[in-house]
Amino acid sequence: MKALRKTLDLLYAGAGALAAVCLVAILLLIVAQMIARWTGEIFPGAASYAGYAMAGASFLAFANALSRGSHIRVAILLNALSAGPKRLLEIWCFAVGAAVAWYFTYYAYWFVYWSWKFNEISQDQDASPLWIPQSVMVIGGGILAIALTDNLLHVIFKGDHRITRDLVDQSFGE
Amino acid sequence: MTEIYAITLFLIVLFFLLGTGVWVGLALMGVAWLGMELFTSRPVGDTMITTIWASSSSWTLTALPLFVWMGEILYRTRLSQDMFRGLAPWLARLPGGLVHTNIVGCTVFAAVSGSSAATLTTVGKMSIPELRSRGYPEKMIIGTLAGAATLGLMIPPSLALIVYGVTVNESITKLFFAGVMPGLLLALMFMGYVALSSVFSKDWNPKPEAQMTFMQKLSNSRFLLPVFALISVVIGSMYLGFATATEAAAIGVIGALTLALFQGSLNWHSFRESLMGAMRTSAMIALILAGAAFLKLSMGFTGLPRALADGIAAMELSRFQLLMALLVFYIVLGMFLDGISSIVLTMAVVEPMVRGAGIDLIWFGIFVVVVVEMAQITPPIGFNLFVLQGMTDHEMGYITRAALPMFAIMVLMVFVLIWFPEIATWLPENLRKGPV
Repeated sequence: MKALRKTLDLLYAGAGALAAVCLVAILLLIVAQMIARWTGEIFPGAASYAGYAMAGASFLAFANALSRGSHIRVAILLNALSAGPKRLLEIWCFAVGAAVAWYFTYYAYWFVYWSWKFNEISQDQDASPLWIPQSVMVIGGGILAIALTDNLLHVIFKGDHRITRDLVDQSFGE
Repeated sequence: MTEIYAITLFLIVLFFLLGTGVWVGLALMGVAWLGMELFTSRPVGDTMITTIWASSSSWTLTALPLFVWMGEILYRTRLSQDMFRGLAPWLARLPGGLVHTNIVGCTVFAAVSGSSAATLTTVGKMSIPELRSRGYPEKMIIGTLAGAATLGLMIPPSLALIVYGVTVNESITKLFFAGVMPGLLLALMFMGYVALSSVFSKDWNPKPEAQMTFMQKLSNSRFLLPVFALISVVIGSMYLGFATATEAAAIGVIGALTLALFQGSLNWHSFRESLMGAMRTSAMIALILAGAAFLKLSMGFTGLPRALADGIAAMELSRFQLLMALLVFYIVLGMFLDGISSIVLTMAVVEPMVRGAGIDLIWFGIFVVVVVEMAQITPPIGFNLFVLQGMTDHEMGYITRAALPMFAIMVLMVFVLIWFPEIATWLPENLRKGPV
């Protein structure tokens, strides 16, 4: 049980680290594109690559952001309830969240499978096989689904989830 | 008839999911899924993935994490200490005295960060104790801080404007520049209010400041100059057409890293913290955007936005009446939902309505952002109120009352914007043509 806990936490942290690498990649791609333009060169497909890195930075970070309490939710009702009903409501939230995330992952998997099978190629200058960047949807969506399920089971059996709300992160939404 | 049925169902399910506390992005996906299952015969899952992939891998969106990252880096420098010390000598002579440091400080920090909580803590951490020790009225300190921290939404780089631009397909650079003058005007209105109340209020007798020579003032603010330089480079490169919004963001990140390096506040720990913070924040917004993209598509299939736009057009509201209706609508929505969520959530329906009424979408972006800003200082979930509560230990009611005059000023700002739309539209129309 302890080993599983450790593995899962490592999974969320690792996916977050990969997402951070994607973010750095965005920066480097944009800088390279700028330098290329100023020196009269062209960097074909830079915009597409930056787009893929953007998808990577988003999807891979979902689970990490969830466990660090960055995702926004309306907490008025949750804050007003006492412990018992609150636990039920949390179970509902995690159940809905996990269902949506698993649904997403399932269809993302088939989407990427067909993209690979038919060898779909990007229409832009980069001409990369699309299944490679698209698979971040399956991986990131899957990890988010695991994280939501993880917390759902935690609420059911231990009574609380493992998320503390991060006000500074959330305030970016304002 | 189907439309009425559809809208009722969408609304009930949506507010139920959001109200019970399901994460906004996931709730939007859930509603969109239900809508498509019920009202269309299309393959829902595949459509969902195609839409979400297209919206999440967009190049325009990359400006978002980069601007967040730039703010995160500067948040971790010693900007907080420098801000008060650097601004105070210049503002001490104005009527209203050092309370202006709250407003100017927030405006400056708004130009490097998109987070109102980060702005509040950076500026407030130093200014609250300093202003208190000089005997300024507490209500004024709290109120101006709450109000001015909302400027981050309007002064570029503004995350809300990036999200709005991506959602309605308008140029982000243009939106940024549309926000400059209204943002500065709002800051000036706040300052005017401070000056007026310092003249008329009876309990306004702070300790006078020591006189300083020009060189002393300059030496006190020497640490702020690099920040001003960075802001000028980021905004200037966009204005002169050297860089797109995304490229300006990349310049901003590199500039912020350089600045932190020279200040000695850049180490592996702070670098990693800023990067991870930016990663999580942009993921939070990306999840909402992904859900909103799917919801927009799903609503489009039901014909709901079109029908609503036609319905509104048939009512023959004047432009002013439509804007007033939207004003009330967004204030109410903003009481329960954060700014970015309320923008992306409603745009599917509001965009055709506004386009139909012949309203400029760039101008409307600024309008929406001002209105959404107000929500930050209205209970029950005004973010700035929460953060200030944590910082000052005042009760919510007190902070809300302190922020009320600022709310009124923002309402006034909305009307100024309606009467003089050029405040927002003049600058973007006179931009140097840049790279696309």
